[in-house]
Amino acid sequence: MSGPIRLWVAVKHGVDVVLARADRSTGTVAMDRAPRKTSDFDRNAVEEAVRIREKLGGTVTALTVGPPTSKEALRDALALGADEAVLITDPARPDLDGRGVARALAAYARTHPGFDLWFFGEGSTDHFTGTIGPRVAAEIGAPSLSYARRVSVEDGAVLVEREYEHELEKVRAAFPAIITVGQEINQPRVPTFMSTLKASKKEIRSFGPSELGVQPSDWAPLARRDRVFVPEVNRKRQAVSGADPATTARGLVDALRREGVLP
Amino acid sequence: MSGETVLVFSEEAEAIPGLLAAARAAVGPGPGRVELAVLADGGGPAGSAVGGADRVYRLLLPENARHDPELVAVALRRAQEAANPRLTLVASTKRGRETAARLAGATDSAVSTGVASFALEPEGVRIRREVLSGNALGEEVLLGPRPIVAVMLGAPVPAVPPTTPPEIIDVPPPEGAGRIALVERTVKPAGGLRIEAAERIVSVGRGLRKKEDLSLIEELARAMGAVVGCTRPIAAEAGWLSDDHWIGLTGHRVKPRLYVAVGISGAVQHLVGMRESTVVVAINKDPNAPIFAQSDFTVTGDLYTVVPALVRALSGA
Repeated sequence: MSGPIRLWVAVKHGVDVVLARADRSTGTVAMDRAPRKTSDFDRNAVEEAVRIREKLGGTVTALTVGPPTSKEALRDALALGADEAVLITDPARPDLDGRGVARALAAYARTHPGFDLWFFGEGSTDHFTGTIGPRVAAEIGAPSLSYARRVSVEDGAVLVEREYEHELEKVRAAFPAIITVGQEINQPRVPTFMSTLKASKKEIRSFGPSELGVQPSDWAPLARRDRVFVPEVNRKRQAVSGADPATTARGLVDALRREGVLP
Repeated sequence: MSGETVLVFSEEAEAIPGLLAAARAAVGPGPGRVELAVLADGGGPAGSAVGGADRVYRLLLPENARHDPELVAVALRRAQEAANPRLTLVASTKRGRETAARLAGATDSAVSTGVASFALEPEGVRIRREVLSGNALGEEVLLGPRPIVAVMLGAPVPAVPPTTPPEIIDVPPPEGAGRIALVERTVKPAGGLRIEAAERIVSVGRGLRKKEDLSLIEELARAMGAVVGCTRPIAAEAGWLSDDHWIGLTGHRVKPRLYVAVGISGAVQHLVGMRESTVVVAINKDPNAPIFAQSDFTVTGDLYTVVPALVRALSGA
Protein backbone atom coordinates (compact mmCIF):
# COMPACT_ATOMS: atom_id res chain seq x y z
CA MET A 1 0.00 0.00 0.00
CA SER A 2 1.24 3.45 -0.78
CA GLY A 3 -0.23 6.63 0.59
CA PRO A 4 -3.38 7.06 2.62
CA ILE A 5 -6.00 4.36 2.38
CA ARG A 6 -8.75 4.97 -0.18
CA LEU A 7 -12.09 3.63 0.92
CA TRP A 8 -15.12 3.52 -1.37
CA VAL A 9 -18.67 2.74 -0.39
CA ALA A 10 -21.53 2.00 -2.78
CA VAL A 11 -24.93 3.14 -1.55
CA LYS A 12 -28.39 2.68 -2.99
CA HIS A 13 -31.37 5.00 -2.89
CA GLY A 14 -33.89 2.20 -2.91
CA VAL A 15 -37.61 1.86 -2.40
CA ASP A 16 -38.68 2.54 1.18
CA VAL A 17 -40.15 -0.81 2.19
CA VAL A 18 -42.13 0.73 5.04
CA LEU A 19 -43.72 3.53 3.05
CA ALA A 20 -44.26 1.67 -0.24
CA ARG A 21 -47.96 0.91 -0.61
CA ALA A 22 -49.87 -1.36 -2.93
CA ASP A 23 -52.69 0.04 -5.01
CA ARG A 24 -55.85 -1.18 -3.29
CA SER A 25 -57.66 -2.21 -6.46
CA THR A 26 -54.81 -4.07 -8.16
CA GLY A 27 -52.67 -5.15 -5.21
CA THR A 28 -49.58 -4.03 -7.11
CA VAL A 29 -46.84 -1.64 -6.01
CA ALA A 30 -45.75 1.04 -8.48
CA MET A 31 -42.03 0.78 -7.75
CA ASP A 32 -41.08 3.72 -9.98
CA ARG A 33 -43.29 6.08 -7.97
CA ALA A 34 -42.70 4.62 -4.50
CA PRO A 35 -40.96 6.71 -1.82
CA ARG A 36 -37.24 6.06 -1.53
CA LYS A 37 -34.59 6.02 1.15
CA THR A 38 -31.02 4.88 1.67
CA SER A 39 -30.84 1.10 1.86
CA ASP A 40 -30.32 -0.08 5.45
CA PHE A 41 -27.18 -2.19 5.08
CA ASP A 42 -25.47 0.55 3.10
CA ARG A 43 -25.39 2.56 6.34
CA ASN A 44 -23.43 -0.30 7.91
CA ALA A 45 -21.08 -0.20 4.92
CA VAL A 46 -20.51 3.57 5.30
CA GLU A 47 -20.06 3.21 9.06
CA GLU A 48 -17.41 0.51 8.61
CA ALA A 49 -15.44 2.60 6.10
CA VAL A 50 -15.67 5.69 8.32
CA ARG A 51 -14.43 3.72 11.35
CA ILE A 52 -11.40 2.51 9.36
CA ARG A 53 -10.64 6.08 8.28
CA GLU A 54 -10.98 7.33 11.86
CA LYS A 55 -8.35 4.77 12.88
CA LEU A 56 -5.96 4.84 9.93
CA GLY A 57 -6.65 8.08 8.06
CA GLY A 58 -7.45 8.17 4.36
CA THR A 59 -10.61 9.13 2.53
CA VAL A 60 -14.10 7.70 2.22
CA THR A 61 -15.87 8.15 -1.12
CA ALA A 62 -19.56 7.32 -1.42
CA LEU A 63 -20.89 6.30 -4.84
CA THR A 64 -24.37 5.74 -6.11
CA VAL A 65 -26.04 4.97 -9.43
CA GLY A 66 -29.45 6.34 -10.27
CA PRO A 67 -31.48 9.42 -11.13
CA PRO A 68 -30.45 12.80 -9.61
CA THR A 69 -32.84 12.19 -6.68
CA SER A 70 -30.43 9.43 -5.60
CA LYS A 71 -28.21 12.21 -4.29
CA GLU A 72 -30.23 11.82 -1.09
CA ALA A 73 -28.35 8.57 -0.42
CA LEU A 74 -25.06 10.38 -0.96
CA ARG A 75 -26.10 13.15 1.45
CA ASP A 76 -26.84 10.44 4.02
CA ALA A 77 -23.42 8.89 3.46
CA LEU A 78 -21.76 12.31 3.80
CA ALA A 79 -23.70 12.99 7.00
CA LEU A 80 -22.46 9.65 8.35
CA GLY A 81 -18.89 10.77 7.72
CA ALA A 82 -17.99 10.12 4.08
CA ASP A 83 -15.60 12.74 2.65
CA GLU A 84 -16.70 12.83 -0.98
CA ALA A 85 -19.61 11.72 -3.09
CA VAL A 86 -20.06 10.56 -6.68
CA LEU A 87 -23.33 10.20 -8.60
CA ILE A 88 -23.39 8.05 -11.74
CA THR A 89 -26.46 8.92 -13.73
CA ASP A 90 -27.88 8.41 -17.19
CA PRO A 91 -30.78 10.67 -18.12
CA ALA A 92 -31.87 8.12 -20.72
CA ARG A 93 -32.10 5.35 -18.14
CA PRO A 94 -32.98 6.72 -14.71
CA ASP A 95 -33.36 3.28 -13.15
CA LEU A 96 -30.90 0.59 -14.12
CA ASP A 97 -31.26 -3.08 -13.26
CA GLY A 98 -28.62 -4.99 -11.31
CA ARG A 99 -26.54 -5.60 -14.38
CA GLY A 100 -26.65 -1.92 -15.31
CA VAL A 101 -25.74 -0.74 -11.81
CA ALA A 102 -22.82 -3.16 -11.59
CA ARG A 103 -21.51 -2.15 -15.01
CA ALA A 104 -21.89 1.56 -14.20
CA LEU A 105 -19.89 1.14 -10.98
CA ALA A 106 -17.31 -0.99 -12.79
CA ALA A 107 -16.99 1.68 -15.49
CA TYR A 108 -16.34 4.31 -12.82
CA ALA A 109 -13.69 2.09 -11.20
CA ARG A 110 -11.96 1.58 -14.56
CA THR A 111 -11.85 5.29 -15.34
CA HIS A 112 -10.97 6.34 -11.77
CA PRO A 113 -8.65 3.59 -10.60
CA GLY A 114 -7.26 3.62 -7.10
CA PHE A 115 -9.55 2.26 -4.42
CA ASP A 116 -8.02 0.03 -1.76
CA LEU A 117 -11.23 -1.29 -0.17
CA TRP A 118 -14.70 -0.95 -1.61
CA PHE A 119 -17.62 -1.62 0.70
CA PHE A 120 -21.15 -2.67 -0.25
CA GLY A 121 -24.15 -3.63 1.83
CA GLU A 122 -24.63 -7.38 1.49
CA GLY A 123 -28.04 -6.76 -0.07
CA SER A 124 -30.48 -3.91 -0.59
CA THR A 125 -33.58 -3.47 1.55
CA ASP A 126 -35.87 -3.39 -1.49
CA HIS A 127 -34.60 -6.15 -3.80
CA PHE A 128 -32.01 -7.98 -1.70
CA THR A 129 -30.39 -9.97 -4.49
CA GLY A 130 -26.99 -9.52 -2.85
CA THR A 131 -25.32 -9.61 -6.24
CA ILE A 132 -23.97 -6.12 -6.89
CA GLY A 133 -20.74 -6.26 -4.84
CA PRO A 134 -19.46 -9.60 -6.18
CA ARG A 135 -20.73 -8.72 -9.66
CA VAL A 136 -18.70 -5.50 -9.74
CA ALA A 137 -15.72 -7.47 -8.44
CA ALA A 138 -16.05 -9.94 -11.32
CA GLU A 139 -16.37 -7.06 -13.83
CA ILE A 140 -13.16 -5.38 -12.67
CA GLY A 141 -11.27 -8.54 -11.68
CA ALA A 142 -11.05 -7.89 -7.94
CA PRO A 143 -11.43 -10.40 -5.12
CA SER A 144 -14.77 -10.22 -3.31
CA LEU A 145 -15.14 -11.00 0.37
CA SER A 146 -18.81 -11.19 1.22
CA TYR A 147 -20.92 -11.27 4.39
CA ALA A 148 -18.24 -9.67 6.60
CA ARG A 149 -19.11 -9.43 10.31
CA ARG A 150 -15.68 -8.13 11.24
CA VAL A 151 -13.09 -6.32 9.14
CA SER A 152 -9.51 -5.55 10.14
CA VAL A 153 -7.01 -3.76 7.98
CA GLU A 154 -3.43 -4.98 8.02
CA ASP A 155 -0.55 -3.64 5.99
CA GLY A 156 -1.98 -3.48 2.48
CA ALA A 157 -4.40 -6.32 3.15
CA VAL A 158 -7.72 -6.95 4.79
CA LEU A 159 -8.82 -9.71 7.15
CA VAL A 160 -12.51 -10.56 7.09
CA GLU A 161 -14.47 -12.74 9.48
CA ARG A 162 -17.74 -14.04 8.10
CA GLU A 163 -20.49 -16.50 8.73
CA TYR A 164 -22.10 -18.97 6.35
CA GLU A 165 -25.07 -21.21 7.06
CA HIS A 166 -22.92 -24.00 8.50
CA GLU A 167 -19.44 -22.53 8.72
CA LEU A 168 -17.43 -19.61 10.04
CA GLU A 169 -14.50 -18.33 8.01
CA LYS A 170 -11.57 -15.99 8.34
CA VAL A 171 -10.16 -14.92 5.00
CA ARG A 172 -7.50 -12.48 3.87
CA ALA A 173 -6.93 -10.59 0.62
CA ALA A 174 -4.50 -7.94 -0.54
CA PHE A 175 -5.76 -4.53 -1.71
CA PRO A 176 -7.75 -3.75 -3.78
CA ALA A 177 -10.68 -5.81 -2.57
CA ILE A 178 -14.46 -5.63 -2.48
CA ILE A 179 -16.24 -6.37 0.78
CA THR A 180 -19.94 -6.77 1.51
CA VAL A 181 -21.22 -6.28 5.04
CA GLY A 182 -24.33 -7.26 6.92
CA GLN A 183 -26.17 -5.56 9.75
CA GLU A 184 -24.29 -7.48 12.44
CA ILE A 185 -21.00 -5.73 11.65
CA ASN A 186 -21.69 -2.49 13.49
CA GLN A 187 -24.31 -0.07 14.74
CA PRO A 188 -24.27 2.92 12.37
CA ARG A 189 -24.01 6.28 14.09
CA VAL A 190 -26.91 8.71 14.01
CA PRO A 191 -26.01 11.81 11.99
CA THR A 192 -25.89 15.00 14.04
CA PHE A 193 -27.49 18.27 13.04
CA MET A 194 -24.05 19.66 12.27
CA SER A 195 -22.94 16.67 10.17
CA THR A 196 -26.19 16.83 8.19
CA LEU A 197 -25.75 20.56 7.61
CA LYS A 198 -22.15 20.07 6.49
CA ALA A 199 -23.19 17.22 4.21
CA SER A 200 -25.80 19.39 2.53
CA LYS A 201 -23.07 21.82 1.47
CA LYS A 202 -20.60 19.32 0.05
CA GLU A 203 -20.13 19.01 -3.66
CA ILE A 204 -21.45 15.89 -5.38
CA ARG A 205 -19.59 15.03 -8.55
CA SER A 206 -21.77 13.68 -11.35
CA PHE A 207 -20.80 11.34 -14.19
CA GLY A 208 -22.73 10.12 -17.23
CA PRO A 209 -22.08 7.30 -19.69
CA SER A 210 -19.87 9.35 -22.03
CA GLU A 211 -17.58 10.47 -19.20
CA LEU A 212 -17.18 6.86 -18.10
CA GLY A 213 -16.36 5.67 -21.61
CA VAL A 214 -19.36 3.41 -22.02
CA GLN A 215 -22.11 3.14 -24.57
CA PRO A 216 -25.57 3.47 -23.06
CA SER A 217 -26.32 -0.02 -24.44
CA ASP A 218 -23.63 -1.38 -22.11
CA TRP A 219 -26.05 -0.99 -19.26
CA ALA A 220 -29.29 -1.86 -21.01
CA PRO A 221 -31.51 -4.04 -18.81
CA LEU A 222 -31.21 -7.82 -18.83
CA ALA A 223 -34.23 -8.27 -16.59
CA ARG A 224 -37.74 -7.05 -17.19
CA ARG A 225 -39.66 -6.37 -14.03
CA ASP A 226 -43.24 -7.27 -14.76
CA ARG A 227 -44.97 -6.56 -11.50
CA VAL A 228 -44.60 -6.29 -7.77
CA PHE A 229 -47.63 -7.32 -5.80
CA VAL A 230 -48.64 -7.86 -2.22
CA PRO A 231 -49.88 -11.36 -1.48
CA GLU A 232 -53.08 -11.46 0.51
CA VAL A 233 -52.71 -11.97 4.22
CA ASN A 234 -55.33 -14.35 5.49
CA ARG A 235 -55.15 -14.03 9.24
CA LYS A 236 -58.11 -14.23 11.57
CA ARG A 237 -57.19 -11.08 13.52
CA GLN A 238 -59.37 -12.23 16.37
CA ALA A 239 -59.01 -10.15 19.55
CA VAL A 240 -58.93 -12.17 22.75
CA SER A 241 -59.95 -10.29 25.88
CA GLY A 242 -61.58 -11.07 29.17
CA ALA A 243 -62.64 -9.44 32.40
CA ASP A 244 -59.16 -9.91 33.86
CA PRO A 245 -55.75 -11.23 32.70
CA ALA A 246 -56.51 -14.75 33.94
CA THR A 247 -59.72 -14.96 31.89
CA THR A 248 -57.97 -13.55 28.82
CA ALA A 249 -55.18 -16.07 29.21
CA ARG A 250 -57.61 -18.99 29.54
CA GLY A 251 -59.49 -17.75 26.48
CA LEU A 252 -56.29 -17.70 24.44
CA VAL A 253 -55.15 -21.13 25.62
CA ASP A 254 -58.58 -22.58 24.76
CA ALA A 255 -58.51 -20.98 21.31
CA LEU A 256 -55.02 -22.39 20.60
CA ARG A 257 -56.07 -25.87 21.77
CA ARG A 258 -59.07 -25.69 19.43
CA GLU A 259 -56.66 -24.86 16.61
CA GLY A 260 -54.69 -27.94 17.56
CA VAL A 261 -51.42 -26.05 17.95
CA LEU A 262 -50.97 -26.57 21.68
CA PRO A 263 -50.65 -29.99 23.27
CA MET B 1 -40.36 -26.42 -23.31
CA SER B 2 -38.34 -29.43 -24.32
CA GLY B 3 -34.94 -30.26 -25.62
CA GLU B 4 -33.19 -27.82 -23.33
CA THR B 5 -30.48 -28.20 -20.75
CA VAL B 6 -30.45 -26.90 -17.21
CA LEU B 7 -27.06 -26.91 -15.50
CA VAL B 8 -27.20 -27.36 -11.74
CA PHE B 9 -24.46 -26.43 -9.28
CA SER B 10 -24.07 -26.18 -5.55
CA GLU B 11 -21.17 -25.97 -3.14
CA GLU B 12 -23.30 -27.79 -0.61
CA ALA B 13 -23.94 -31.49 -1.26
CA GLU B 14 -27.22 -31.40 0.68
CA ALA B 15 -28.71 -28.89 -1.77
CA ILE B 16 -28.01 -30.94 -4.90
CA PRO B 17 -30.94 -33.42 -4.84
CA GLY B 18 -33.44 -30.56 -4.44
CA LEU B 19 -31.83 -28.60 -7.27
CA LEU B 20 -31.84 -31.63 -9.56
CA ALA B 21 -35.54 -32.17 -8.87
CA ALA B 22 -36.34 -28.51 -9.58
CA ALA B 23 -34.29 -28.59 -12.79
CA ARG B 24 -36.00 -31.78 -13.96
CA ALA B 25 -39.41 -30.24 -13.32
CA ALA B 26 -38.41 -27.17 -15.35
CA VAL B 27 -37.20 -29.06 -18.43
CA GLY B 28 -40.22 -31.36 -18.27
CA PRO B 29 -40.50 -34.85 -19.72
CA GLY B 30 -38.93 -35.61 -23.06
CA PRO B 31 -35.57 -34.68 -24.49
CA GLY B 32 -34.61 -32.01 -21.91
CA ARG B 33 -31.34 -32.58 -20.08
CA VAL B 34 -30.24 -31.92 -16.53
CA GLU B 35 -26.50 -31.65 -16.04
CA LEU B 36 -24.71 -31.19 -12.76
CA ALA B 37 -21.48 -29.47 -11.76
CA VAL B 38 -19.96 -30.45 -8.42
CA LEU B 39 -16.98 -29.13 -6.53
CA ALA B 40 -14.11 -31.54 -6.24
CA ASP B 41 -11.98 -29.55 -3.81
CA GLY B 42 -11.79 -32.18 -1.10
CA GLY B 43 -14.04 -30.01 1.04
CA GLY B 44 -17.04 -32.28 1.11
CA PRO B 45 -18.80 -35.22 -0.47
CA ALA B 46 -19.43 -34.21 -4.03
CA GLY B 47 -20.16 -37.09 -6.36
CA SER B 48 -22.59 -39.03 -4.18
CA ALA B 49 -25.86 -37.25 -4.86
CA VAL B 50 -25.94 -37.43 -8.62
CA GLY B 51 -29.11 -39.41 -9.31
CA GLY B 52 -31.14 -37.50 -11.85
CA ALA B 53 -28.21 -35.90 -13.66
CA ASP B 54 -27.53 -36.84 -17.28
CA ARG B 55 -23.95 -35.68 -17.02
CA VAL B 56 -21.68 -34.61 -14.17
CA TYR B 57 -18.86 -32.08 -14.38
CA ARG B 58 -16.33 -32.41 -11.59
CA LEU B 59 -14.78 -29.01 -10.98
CA LEU B 60 -11.23 -29.88 -9.96
CA LEU B 61 -10.26 -27.03 -7.68
CA PRO B 62 -7.31 -26.63 -5.35
CA GLU B 63 -7.99 -28.11 -1.95
CA ASN B 64 -10.57 -26.19 0.08
CA ALA B 65 -11.12 -23.52 -2.55
CA ARG B 66 -14.79 -22.85 -1.88
CA HIS B 67 -14.00 -19.72 0.16
CA ASP B 68 -12.98 -18.01 -3.08
CA PRO B 69 -16.06 -17.37 -5.26
CA GLU B 70 -13.81 -16.19 -8.08
CA LEU B 71 -12.15 -19.62 -8.43
CA VAL B 72 -15.50 -21.38 -8.12
CA ALA B 73 -17.10 -19.12 -10.73
CA VAL B 74 -14.22 -19.56 -13.18
CA ALA B 75 -14.56 -23.34 -12.92
CA LEU B 76 -18.35 -23.22 -13.16
CA ARG B 77 -18.08 -21.04 -16.24
CA ARG B 78 -16.08 -23.79 -17.97
CA ALA B 79 -18.82 -26.31 -17.18
CA GLN B 80 -21.36 -23.77 -18.41
CA GLU B 81 -19.48 -23.38 -21.70
CA ALA B 82 -19.43 -27.15 -22.16
CA ALA B 83 -23.08 -27.68 -21.25
CA ASN B 84 -24.40 -24.61 -23.08
CA PRO B 85 -27.48 -24.60 -20.82
CA ARG B 86 -30.65 -22.59 -21.21
CA LEU B 87 -30.41 -21.89 -17.47
CA THR B 88 -27.81 -22.29 -14.77
CA LEU B 89 -29.43 -23.12 -11.44
CA VAL B 90 -27.75 -22.78 -8.05
CA ALA B 91 -29.03 -22.85 -4.48
CA SER B 92 -29.77 -19.47 -2.92
CA THR B 93 -27.39 -20.02 -0.03
CA LYS B 94 -24.83 -17.37 0.87
CA ARG B 95 -22.13 -19.11 -1.17
CA GLY B 96 -24.59 -19.84 -3.99
CA ARG B 97 -25.61 -16.18 -4.30
CA GLU B 98 -21.99 -15.07 -4.34
CA THR B 99 -21.00 -17.62 -7.00
CA ALA B 100 -24.07 -16.72 -9.09
CA ALA B 101 -23.18 -13.01 -8.95
CA ARG B 102 -19.54 -13.57 -9.92
CA LEU B 103 -20.52 -15.87 -12.78
CA ALA B 104 -23.07 -13.31 -14.01
CA GLY B 105 -20.43 -10.57 -13.88
CA ALA B 106 -17.89 -12.70 -15.74
CA THR B 107 -20.36 -13.65 -18.48
CA ASP B 108 -22.40 -10.40 -18.50
CA SER B 109 -25.63 -12.31 -17.91
CA ALA B 110 -28.87 -11.81 -16.03
CA VAL B 111 -28.97 -13.21 -12.51
CA SER B 112 -31.46 -13.35 -9.70
CA THR B 113 -31.32 -14.81 -6.21
CA GLY B 114 -33.76 -15.78 -3.49
CA VAL B 115 -36.02 -17.09 -6.26
CA ALA B 116 -39.17 -18.85 -5.06
CA SER B 117 -40.23 -20.29 -8.42
CA PHE B 118 -39.11 -20.14 -12.05
CA ALA B 119 -40.19 -21.31 -15.48
CA LEU B 120 -38.49 -21.53 -18.85
CA GLU B 121 -40.47 -19.42 -21.30
CA PRO B 122 -39.71 -18.65 -24.96
CA GLU B 123 -38.77 -15.07 -24.13
CA GLY B 124 -36.63 -15.81 -21.10
CA VAL B 125 -36.73 -17.28 -17.61
CA ARG B 126 -39.71 -16.08 -15.63
CA ILE B 127 -39.04 -15.86 -11.92
CA ARG B 128 -40.96 -14.99 -8.81
CA ARG B 129 -39.20 -13.80 -5.66
CA GLU B 130 -39.76 -11.82 -2.50
CA VAL B 131 -39.05 -8.10 -2.71
CA LEU B 132 -39.48 -5.11 -0.39
CA SER B 133 -37.97 -7.08 2.50
CA GLY B 134 -40.53 -9.81 2.02
CA ASN B 135 -43.56 -7.50 1.98
CA ALA B 136 -44.29 -8.20 -1.64
CA LEU B 137 -43.59 -10.62 -4.45
CA GLY B 138 -41.93 -9.58 -7.67
CA GLU B 139 -42.21 -11.18 -11.10
CA GLU B 140 -39.38 -10.69 -13.55
CA VAL B 141 -38.22 -12.16 -16.82
CA LEU B 142 -34.48 -12.74 -17.11
CA LEU B 143 -33.43 -12.00 -20.67
CA GLY B 144 -30.39 -12.69 -22.79
CA PRO B 145 -28.10 -15.71 -22.97
CA ARG B 146 -26.87 -17.76 -19.98
CA PRO B 147 -29.24 -16.53 -17.25
CA ILE B 148 -28.48 -17.69 -13.71
CA VAL B 149 -31.04 -18.34 -11.01
CA ALA B 150 -30.32 -18.92 -7.33
CA VAL B 151 -33.39 -20.69 -6.02
CA MET B 152 -34.63 -21.04 -2.45
CA LEU B 153 -34.89 -24.68 -1.48
CA GLY B 154 -37.22 -26.10 1.11
CA ALA B 155 -36.36 -28.98 3.38
CA PRO B 156 -33.56 -31.18 1.97
CA VAL B 157 -34.72 -33.84 -0.49
CA PRO B 158 -33.14 -37.29 -0.11
CA ALA B 159 -30.58 -38.15 -2.78
CA VAL B 160 -31.73 -40.51 -5.51
CA PRO B 161 -29.21 -43.17 -6.50
CA PRO B 162 -28.49 -42.98 -10.23
CA THR B 163 -30.28 -45.62 -12.32
CA THR B 164 -27.58 -45.52 -14.97
CA PRO B 165 -24.19 -44.05 -14.09
CA PRO B 166 -23.98 -40.52 -15.54
CA GLU B 167 -21.22 -39.48 -17.86
CA ILE B 168 -18.48 -37.79 -15.80
CA ILE B 169 -16.33 -35.01 -17.18
CA ASP B 170 -13.41 -33.53 -15.26
CA VAL B 171 -13.01 -29.76 -15.51
CA PRO B 172 -9.33 -28.90 -14.94
CA PRO B 173 -8.46 -26.34 -12.25
CA PRO B 174 -8.09 -22.67 -13.23
CA GLU B 175 -4.56 -21.44 -13.87
CA GLY B 176 -2.96 -19.50 -11.07
CA ALA B 177 -3.84 -19.34 -7.41
CA GLY B 178 -6.82 -17.53 -5.97
CA ARG B 179 -6.50 -14.11 -4.44
CA ILE B 180 -8.27 -14.89 -1.20
CA ALA B 181 -6.36 -16.82 1.46
CA LEU B 182 -8.32 -19.00 3.85
CA VAL B 183 -7.01 -18.26 7.33
CA GLU B 184 -9.45 -20.40 9.26
CA ARG B 185 -12.66 -22.32 8.75
CA THR B 186 -14.74 -23.69 11.57
CA VAL B 187 -17.79 -25.82 11.11
CA LYS B 188 -20.53 -24.53 13.40
CA PRO B 189 -21.20 -27.00 16.15
CA ALA B 190 -24.11 -29.29 15.38
CA GLY B 191 -26.70 -29.61 18.09
CA GLY B 192 -26.99 -25.85 18.36
CA LEU B 193 -30.47 -24.43 18.14
CA ARG B 194 -32.08 -25.09 14.74
CA ILE B 195 -34.98 -22.72 15.13
CA GLU B 196 -36.17 -23.46 11.58
CA ALA B 197 -37.21 -26.91 12.77
CA ALA B 198 -39.23 -25.71 15.80
CA GLU B 199 -42.89 -26.59 15.94
CA ARG B 200 -43.73 -23.80 18.37
CA ILE B 201 -41.89 -20.53 18.95
CA VAL B 202 -42.35 -17.87 21.61
CA SER B 203 -40.62 -14.81 20.26
CA VAL B 204 -39.75 -11.58 22.03
CA GLY B 205 -39.04 -8.03 20.91
CA ARG B 206 -38.29 -4.63 22.26
CA GLY B 207 -41.27 -4.76 24.61
CA LEU B 208 -38.95 -6.59 26.98
CA ARG B 209 -37.38 -4.06 29.35
CA LYS B 210 -34.29 -5.89 30.55
CA LYS B 211 -32.29 -9.04 29.97
CA GLU B 212 -33.28 -10.59 33.30
CA ASP B 213 -36.92 -10.53 32.18
CA LEU B 214 -36.09 -13.14 29.53
CA SER B 215 -36.91 -15.68 32.24
CA LEU B 216 -40.59 -14.74 31.78
CA ILE B 217 -40.38 -15.58 28.09
CA GLU B 218 -38.44 -18.78 28.75
CA GLU B 219 -41.08 -19.85 31.25
CA LEU B 220 -43.86 -19.31 28.70
CA ALA B 221 -41.88 -21.20 26.06
CA ARG B 222 -41.42 -24.13 28.46
CA ALA B 223 -45.12 -24.17 29.28
CA MET B 224 -45.97 -24.25 25.57
CA GLY B 225 -43.28 -26.73 24.56
CA ALA B 226 -41.80 -23.98 22.42
CA VAL B 227 -38.34 -22.59 21.69
CA VAL B 228 -37.46 -18.93 22.25
CA GLY B 229 -37.06 -16.64 19.27
CA CYS B 230 -36.41 -12.91 19.05
CA THR B 231 -36.20 -9.84 16.85
CA ARG B 232 -33.08 -8.12 15.61
CA PRO B 233 -32.85 -5.55 18.45
CA ILE B 234 -32.79 -8.33 21.05
CA ALA B 235 -30.08 -10.34 19.25
CA ALA B 236 -27.94 -7.96 17.23
CA GLU B 237 -28.26 -4.77 19.24
CA ALA B 238 -28.81 -5.76 22.86
CA GLY B 239 -27.09 -9.14 22.54
CA TRP B 240 -29.51 -10.68 25.05
CA LEU B 241 -29.91 -13.78 22.86
CA SER B 242 -27.54 -15.32 20.30
CA ASP B 243 -28.09 -15.01 16.55
CA ASP B 244 -29.45 -18.59 16.58
CA HIS B 245 -32.67 -17.12 17.99
CA TRP B 246 -32.95 -14.17 15.60
CA ILE B 247 -35.94 -14.35 13.25
CA GLY B 248 -36.18 -12.03 10.28
CA LEU B 249 -34.89 -11.03 6.89
CA THR B 250 -31.22 -11.44 7.80
CA GLY B 251 -31.86 -13.79 10.71
CA HIS B 252 -33.64 -17.13 10.43
CA ARG B 253 -36.85 -17.81 8.56
CA VAL B 254 -39.25 -20.02 10.44
CA LYS B 255 -42.58 -21.70 9.81
CA PRO B 256 -43.75 -23.22 13.08
CA ARG B 257 -47.32 -24.35 13.71
CA LEU B 258 -47.58 -21.76 16.48
CA TYR B 259 -45.79 -18.41 16.65
CA VAL B 260 -46.34 -16.25 19.70
CA ALA B 261 -45.01 -12.70 19.24
CA VAL B 262 -44.51 -11.05 22.62
CA GLY B 263 -43.76 -7.34 22.74
CA ILE B 264 -42.97 -7.33 19.02
CA SER B 265 -44.30 -4.37 17.05
CA GLY B 266 -43.85 -6.11 13.71
CA ALA B 267 -41.14 -4.37 11.66
CA VAL B 268 -41.28 -5.61 8.08
CA GLN B 269 -37.86 -7.21 8.37
CA HIS B 270 -39.18 -9.32 11.22
CA LEU B 271 -42.49 -10.20 9.60
CA VAL B 272 -40.78 -11.78 6.60
CA GLY B 273 -39.07 -14.24 8.93
CA MET B 274 -42.28 -15.56 10.54
CA ARG B 275 -44.95 -15.01 7.91
CA GLU B 276 -45.26 -18.68 7.02
CA SER B 277 -46.25 -19.71 10.55
CA THR B 278 -49.55 -21.60 10.70
CA VAL B 279 -51.09 -19.78 13.68
CA VAL B 280 -49.79 -16.43 14.91
CA VAL B 281 -50.52 -14.87 18.31
CA ALA B 282 -49.55 -11.27 19.11
CA ILE B 283 -49.30 -9.86 22.60
CA ASN B 284 -48.68 -6.13 22.61
CA LYS B 285 -49.57 -3.00 24.56
CA ASP B 286 -50.26 -1.10 21.36
CA PRO B 287 -53.41 -2.27 19.53
CA ASN B 288 -52.13 -0.44 16.42
CA ALA B 289 -48.89 -2.41 16.26
CA PRO B 290 -48.40 -3.76 12.70
CA ILE B 291 -48.01 -7.30 14.07
CA PHE B 292 -51.74 -7.37 14.88
CA ALA B 293 -52.68 -7.29 11.19
CA GLN B 294 -50.48 -10.37 10.67
CA SER B 295 -51.92 -12.37 13.56
CA ASP B 296 -54.75 -14.83 14.13
CA PHE B 297 -55.19 -14.07 17.82
CA THR B 298 -54.34 -10.75 19.40
CA VAL B 299 -54.09 -9.77 23.04
CA THR B 300 -53.82 -6.08 23.83
CA GLY B 301 -52.00 -5.76 27.10
CA ASP B 302 -48.73 -5.44 28.97
CA LEU B 303 -46.59 -8.51 28.45
CA TYR B 304 -45.56 -8.30 32.12
CA THR B 305 -49.19 -9.06 33.04
CA VAL B 306 -50.26 -11.24 30.13
CA VAL B 307 -47.30 -13.63 30.05
CA PRO B 308 -47.46 -14.71 33.72
CA ALA B 309 -51.25 -15.15 33.38
CA LEU B 310 -50.67 -17.37 30.33
CA VAL B 311 -48.11 -19.46 32.18
CA ARG B 312 -50.64 -19.99 34.97
CA ALA B 313 -53.42 -20.84 32.51
CA LEU B 314 -51.18 -23.40 30.78
CA SER B 315 -50.18 -25.05 34.02
CA GLY B 316 -53.87 -25.36 34.84
CA ALA B 317 -53.60 -23.12 37.90
